[in-house]
Amino acid sequence: MSATVRWKAATMGMRNDPAVAAAVFVLWALLALFVVYPLAMLLVRVLTDQGGFTTAGLAAVLSDRHQIRAFGNSLLLALLVGSAGTALGFLFAFTAARGQLPRWLLTAIDVAVLLPLVSPPFTTAIAMIFSFGPRGLITYDLLGLKGVTVYGLASTFFSEVLTFFPIAYLTLRPLLAAIDSNVEGMAFSLGASRWRVFRTVTLPLTIPGLANAFLLLFAASLADFATPLILAGNQFPVLPTQAYLQITGLFDLRGGAALSFALLLPALAVFLLQRYWVSRRYYVTITGKGAGQTPFDSISPGMRAVLLAACALVALVVVYFYVLLLYASLVVALGANHAFTLQHYRTIFTDGLKAIRDTLIIAGLATPLGGLYGIMLGYLVTKKSFAGRRTMELVSMINYALPGTIVGIAYLIAFNDPPLELTGTALIIIACYIFRYGPTGIRATVALLQQIDNSLEEASQGLGAGSGATFRRVTLPLIMPAFFAGLGVVFIRSMTAISATIFLVSISWTLITVKILENITELSLGPAAAFSVLVVVIVFVVIAIIGRVLRLFRAPGAVPMTSLLGG
Amino acid sequence: METIGVHVDGVSKRYAHRVKGELYAARDVRLEVRPGEFLTLLGPSGCGKTTTLRMIAGYEKPDAGRIRFGGQDVTDLPANQRNIGFVFQNYALFPHLSVFENVAYGLRVRGQPDDMIAKSVGDVLALVGLAGYEQQFSSQLSGGEQQRVALARAIVIQPRVLLFDEPLSNLDAKLRVQMRQEIRDLQRRLAITTVYVTHDQEEAMAVSDRIAVMHQGSVVQEGTAADLYHRPASQFVAQFVGRMNLVAGRVAAIVGETVNIAALGTLISTPLPRRDLAPGDSVQIIVRPEAIEIVRGGDEKTHSGLLHATIVSRTFLGEKIEYSARCADEMLQIVRYNEGPGALIAEGATVFLRFAADALTVLGQTHREGRE
Repeated sequence: MSATVRWKAATMGMRNDPAVAAAVFVLWALLALFVVYPLAMLLVRVLTDQGGFTTAGLAAVLSDRHQIRAFGNSLLLALLVGSAGTALGFLFAFTAARGQLPRWLLTAIDVAVLLPLVSPPFTTAIAMIFSFGPRGLITYDLLGLKGVTVYGLASTFFSEVLTFFPIAYLTLRPLLAAIDSNVEGMAFSLGASRWRVFRTVTLPLTIPGLANAFLLLFAASLADFATPLILAGNQFPVLPTQAYLQITGLFDLRGGAALSFALLLPALAVFLLQRYWVSRRYYVTITGKGAGQTPFDSISPGMRAVLLAACALVALVVVYFYVLLLYASLVVALGANHAFTLQHYRTIFTDGLKAIRDTLIIAGLATPLGGLYGIMLGYLVTKKSFAGRRTMELVSMINYALPGTIVGIAYLIAFNDPPLELTGTALIIIACYIFRYGPTGIRATVALLQQIDNSLEEASQGLGAGSGATFRRVTLPLIMPAFFAGLGVVFIRSMTAISATIFLVSISWTLITVKILENITELSLGPAAAFSVLVVVIVFVVIAIIGRVLRLFRAPGAVPMTSLLGG
Repeated sequence: METIGVHVDGVSKRYAHRVKGELYAARDVRLEVRPGEFLTLLGPSGCGKTTTLRMIAGYEKPDAGRIRFGGQDVTDLPANQRNIGFVFQNYALFPHLSVFENVAYGLRVRGQPDDMIAKSVGDVLALVGLAGYEQQFSSQLSGGEQQRVALARAIVIQPRVLLFDEPLSNLDAKLRVQMRQEIRDLQRRLAITTVYVTHDQEEAMAVSDRIAVMHQGSVVQEGTAADLYHRPASQFVAQFVGRMNLVAGRVAAIVGETVNIAALGTLISTPLPRRDLAPGDSVQIIVRPEAIEIVRGGDEKTHSGLLHATIVSRTFLGEKIEYSARCADEMLQIVRYNEGPGALIAEGATVFLRFAADALTVLGQTHREGRE
């Protein structure tokens, strides 16, 4: 009965609301323009030639041995990163959820894990070169190896795992924490050993989460552009970088589009698997009154030490990379001249000032708009009923789910000619960020609203409030955390993204991340490191501010936001 | 403020079921709630009691029928214009607002000045025993305290009608008993017309002036707790309100105002319940477990007219003892007050049973309804 009640409540009295109709219309227009249209133009460009349908362009790319290798490499890398990153994420999540760690240690883990998530894309890659390159601190200075090459599968893999495993951690930790430890205790009391409890209870309950984490990492690695661009080298081409080189190097937009199209299929498969298969397989461990019990100590002291040591080792590597980055930004030339200097910072605040200013302006505009877009769309698709509601939600997720390379090339193709000539403007970059990263806010809003029982709005109505007053006084305050989560993600990504926007920057509008890439290719690693440090600092400051504001809005009873980074 | 009655006049609510097609959540429901009365809708889950309550509140619009508050037809009035106080099963406290602001909400919406709000909220919080809790948030409160906030929030606006949707189902047993008494006392004191929904018959009997038993979308019987218990109109009501033994029988003879029914291998006499009974009719006798007296000792001769039975099992519950007895191949549930250690009857003992004559209810076969 409650299902019908809910359905009734959703349809009752909302249908003919002109404000809702207007909002839906505007959102559909925007989605059509900035999601559907570019993608359609990409398909048209790939699949037609002089007005006729043809797969010749696609076939040409897909039959090229070099490109087939790139395709295979992309999948291989994604598979490896997905597996290893999930394992590493699980290690951290399990240790954090089951290790009964003191509070400060949990915070330390969170910070170490958060660092890679908020960093510009090349940070681990730069640190890898500093450490393991031909003149690397470890390979050359420490081990005395000569002529080693850092470029290839191994270093790309290592760097991507370090960059992306936090996603697995953030997915798995709440899941592990939600498993009622009484369930494990029960198995233990039935005579199972700790290892057996883990194998037969804990792990099976986590499998949907592991699958989900794997798919997320697979997609992230598949789409990753920055790391392979720096570290993969000639011997290990992957699709996103090949597409980029095809366009910027060979000025072959159609070939690049076709290459990015080859990325579309695995990316889409992963997205659909994740959305329609994994998400339905979550177990809910229903718990009755269980608060206040001592949790079952699911790991032995020895195992706890081993797990902690493993986590500490990984965290140490992460921290080492960032310390190295900071150090590199403060010396003349790491590996050659270790004299202290502020020259690199002087450079980025003079030569690089335009990039910094542009990035901040673009992020400053994209962030509020993206946050607003997120809660508006999330609210409409959860609380209002209108035709095409599910479709709207699905369409809004497309740019978020697709690799940035595809989105960037699609925008480049779609907005290059009148009447929609937007290339070269800041607007195209802002739009790209809003529709690519705004969906995090949508998801946060939807998740929050689903936790808020309809009876809250009914209670407000019953007390005499109209629908406007109810929205203002009850619904809006409750979804504020989602708004700020959306803001946070759009800002972080606006500061750190490159895969899509590298195709959209121009002389008039450029970005810090693009500047970092230029520096790296010119081998001026000092300014690149300085830029990276700057971005990390800005992002941390802004996250701290958003966190502070969020706390103001979060009454002790409010629904907690699991993570600012959403997913 | 004048006290008004609530009239529910032939109200129906249909909904589309994915498998079964169109179903009635409520079907031609008629209720009269007198001014100041405490009426409870009692029934199993899915019987339409919550749907009926939500239609009274204005959260659902009936497909047919009218709802009136006093002389005013409110059928087409949205919930926010009906001036009701609704207490939800999950309390529905606003998690982002303090206790004070939760209670003040309805007054703020009505645009009352701050000083009046402060006074009203203070008064009502004192009334429900939560003075000093103003700045707490709902997550810091126990279930009982949340319940009181929900109650305070509903009554502070001086509603015309107070509505409760299973308000006590999230509380533990002891608190449930305490809270239902508090709700009852408060309702008496404020004399607000109240409709209360529950599936717990004991709770319904404890709080209500009158009870309406609902089954499959309709009201099947209405009356005081004693009416429903002693004079159930159907097997369903008998079964739902209290416990019972159901004994099949056949009308043997009708003598004046008394009917003799052949059942349990003997003849049972009881006042004639209905005019349309005739010798040979199949009937069902409803016997409450506490209406069966156990007689020990003696034999068939000294206890002629009593039923011969064997005690099969005994459950000691402290103040009372429950027995299962086999009597002419039927199992009877019997409840006796514990009159001391000497009065305990051993399992396997042979005893005689006596039915209290005015505690029997005789139903014709036509009254039979499907068990749920």
